[in-house]
Amino acid sequence: MFDCQRPADRGSEQGRAAAPGMIREPVTTVPTISASAIGVAPIRYRDRTLPNGLRVLLVPDRRVPSVAINVAYRVGGKDDPPGRSGFAHLFEHLMFKGTSRTAAETMDRLTEDVGGFNNAFTSEDITNYYEVVPSNHLERLLWAEADRLASLTVNEENFATERDVVIGEYDQRILAEPYGMLDELVNREAYAVHPYRRGVIGSPAELNAASLDDVVAFHATYYRPDNALLVVAGDLDPEETFAMVERWFGPIPTPRSPVPRVHAVEPPQTAARTFVYHAANVPLAAVEEAYHIPAAAHSDAAALDVLETLLGSGRSSRLYTSLVYEQQLATSAYASADLREHPGLFAVRVTCAGGVELAAARAALAAEIARVRAQPPDEAELARVRTQIASSVVRSRQTNGGVALELVRATTERGDPELVNGDLARYLAVSGEDVQRVATTYLRDENRTSVEYYPASEKLRAAS
Amino acid sequence: MNGGLSTLPAAGPPHDAVLPAPAERVLDNGLRVVAFSQRNLPLVAAQLVVGCGGAAEHEDEAGLSALVAALLTQGTAVRGATEIAVASDALGARIIAASGYDASVVTCAATTPAFPQALALLDEIVRRPAFAPREVERVRTKSITDLALTYANPNALARGVAHRIAYGGAPYGHPLAGTAATLETITRDRVAWFHERFYRPDDAVLVIGGDLETDDAFALAERVMGSWRAPETPVGERPHGTIPPPRAQVVIVDKPDAGRTALLAGRVTIERRSPEFYAATVATAVLSGYSGRLNQEVRVKRGLSYGAGAALAARRQPGTFFAMTLVDHARAAEATEVTLATIRSLADAPASDDDLVTRKATVTGAFFRAIETVDGIASVLGEHVVYDVPLGEMQEYAHRVLAVDAESVRAVAASRLVPETFAVLVGDASKFAADVERAHGAARIVEAQRLDLGSPTLGG
Repeated sequence: MFDCQRPADRGSEQGRAAAPGMIREPVTTVPTISASAIGVAPIRYRDRTLPNGLRVLLVPDRRVPSVAINVAYRVGGKDDPPGRSGFAHLFEHLMFKGTSRTAAETMDRLTEDVGGFNNAFTSEDITNYYEVVPSNHLERLLWAEADRLASLTVNEENFATERDVVIGEYDQRILAEPYGMLDELVNREAYAVHPYRRGVIGSPAELNAASLDDVVAFHATYYRPDNALLVVAGDLDPEETFAMVERWFGPIPTPRSPVPRVHAVEPPQTAARTFVYHAANVPLAAVEEAYHIPAAAHSDAAALDVLETLLGSGRSSRLYTSLVYEQQLATSAYASADLREHPGLFAVRVTCAGGVELAAARAALAAEIARVRAQPPDEAELARVRTQIASSVVRSRQTNGGVALELVRATTERGDPELVNGDLARYLAVSGEDVQRVATTYLRDENRTSVEYYPASEKLRAAS
Repeated sequence: MNGGLSTLPAAGPPHDAVLPAPAERVLDNGLRVVAFSQRNLPLVAAQLVVGCGGAAEHEDEAGLSALVAALLTQGTAVRGATEIAVASDALGARIIAASGYDASVVTCAATTPAFPQALALLDEIVRRPAFAPREVERVRTKSITDLALTYANPNALARGVAHRIAYGGAPYGHPLAGTAATLETITRDRVAWFHERFYRPDDAVLVIGGDLETDDAFALAERVMGSWRAPETPVGERPHGTIPPPRAQVVIVDKPDAGRTALLAGRVTIERRSPEFYAATVATAVLSGYSGRLNQEVRVKRGLSYGAGAALAARRQPGTFFAMTLVDHARAAEATEVTLATIRSLADAPASDDDLVTRKATVTGAFFRAIETVDGIASVLGEHVVYDVPLGEMQEYAHRVLAVDAESVRAVAASRLVPETFAVLVGDASKFAADVERAHGAARIVEAQRLDLGSPTLGG
């Protein structure tokens, strides 16, 4: 239930190809299409805000008799109380422990037992709870979501158990998982003052310091109608659904006090920084280089997404073809434009091939960064990247869950659900010069934080 | 505050769905084309179903059909593996090939403007694979490595053993992925032979659907695949082995290094096109899921395991019914008794019509989620094709499930799921074998290192 917001090793597939000496017919054409030919109808949603401040977006789509319900709260890892890193995520777990009216696991019973499912994730900026159920069960889930917003009940016993579960999740995903700690280290070193430096999962020490009083205060501070967004997509009648929402969420009061917000501003980085770490669960040396980029709502966001795909998405990307396939310096190489509500990071990560020195892999990576800064991509490459992005936008709209999440992200991270209907056009408008411009603007040496990550055995060897 | 929240509102009656109606046509070369139209998004999906898969390969060549499928995307007469990846990315397409027991399937999906070229790429992969010796070696090595990882997992090992117990030397008995020994012996020529013999238009079905009219789908299929010529040899008979009659027995695989014991109880049951398939599906759902009977008995009441469930495998010939769980070695004998008794409860203590309401909802809910995407619809139609089920049944699926009553669930369980169930345990036998034998009489015990899934009798 913890979202590290990092794609899992894209471009890591080990496709060694094309036997040399294989007899081929001489001419092979790479197919091309113009991404601008991919037209997609706008997402038509109804938008209403209740008097208590709850914003509600409804998307009717009656193809399949099910609905996706998302309730997003504008509170994430960056909003963790001081000395309580990991708290927003721990709190997400507690929202499944029942209320004064319901037993623990009520959400599971109301979904799984009728052919649906439910889950939640916590990111740096939001905590999002979601369910997919047959549409005749919509009102039952709206009731249950209103119920846990209105009256969470947590006692010492289930608080302690769930805290152990979250620490177990930390042990499993961060400590035991190979490279599990690397993202945490990158966030910690790349940010000097912004709370993004604490990550989402937090630290076991600070989780252990949390008390039941913290839970009560956190619920009162952030779990309120005017800090929530409800999105429902699927087989629904908008007026009937608005009536249900008013019935169950309408009476929940909103406190007078404003919701506290993070106002920290990360100062510009002025010199390149490199940090070296060793850990036991690092099979092969790796490096992650992170560059500061603007917030998700910035006008450069689309060009940064294009840059991400061009450099590091899939087997046709520059980093994969150069570092993994041609030079065989890396087992995986990918890029990630991690756009957030506040200024995020553009990260490139390379994991060495066996027997390769990290310095060699880093030099090859630096050459690719220099190349994308030096000249704009040609039209054929840009066309391929635009098509990849446009196709994935269209694909994600096939499910009610995909549509609902897109609206959640646009509203909470960029401030306006309507942005979803301009994204495709914004991607298509990105020119080769735009890509070069964002590369030169952000992928600068003095804006870079690098974390080199080595197997613990190499440290021992160096020491002896 | 908000006193109105005191009552959980009731669910209304389930809503109906309007699914696209499939149409079909046969091209001159014998290729059967199934098309459907659903135009809400600019996406089209296709699925080429080739009528033979693992069931068609010989025991000694187990893994051949899987090797062929894995190699299709690794090079054609005009493109190497990377060039296929680049071409596919340039189209924003996804092309995947895989083999099952009853069929081999190549799928492709792309946006509407890219789809004709994506289908042409699929066609190139299917009709003109290179099977370059270097790629054959690479895929062979990777497959053997993957097998070692798979069989380190006691659950996977239990499934492999269960297939052998259920089918012996009949076509579904051998492992689809082969064994290290069979994979070593397969030559490039045999790969090419299997492809030439079984990948043919007169024994294949192309499903196309999404953002296009069905007539346009037929025209596109003709343009891209109409020139595919069938070989002179006639299409052979479908592989059809004699499946041994189910027999209650216990097989223990002694694997002292397993973390926990994998327990699997089950038997061969019915084929997908059997009229009883829907009742058997609902019976399986009675046992499955968190609130299903197996999890209630095994986890909730006794804490024997983190979870337990059952699955019904659809096949052209009778498929399997398996109940599975993972338990501490020391409690494996107890878990075996509980699991077998819970399966028997389908007949001894049948579910009522009221009990069935939520269990049937789990089946229809999963179905409706599966058909949210055009790939999902294509895949359901592809399965209907493989299992000789009339295509129109897709639209009736939910109704058929909802029409299942308590008596038909009890009846199919009593005749096809409960009698003569076997049990397989893979774990540290020293901790449970004596207890299991006390309850069931002598069990067959095989050491994990000596187990040979390539042998109908499991070696040892």
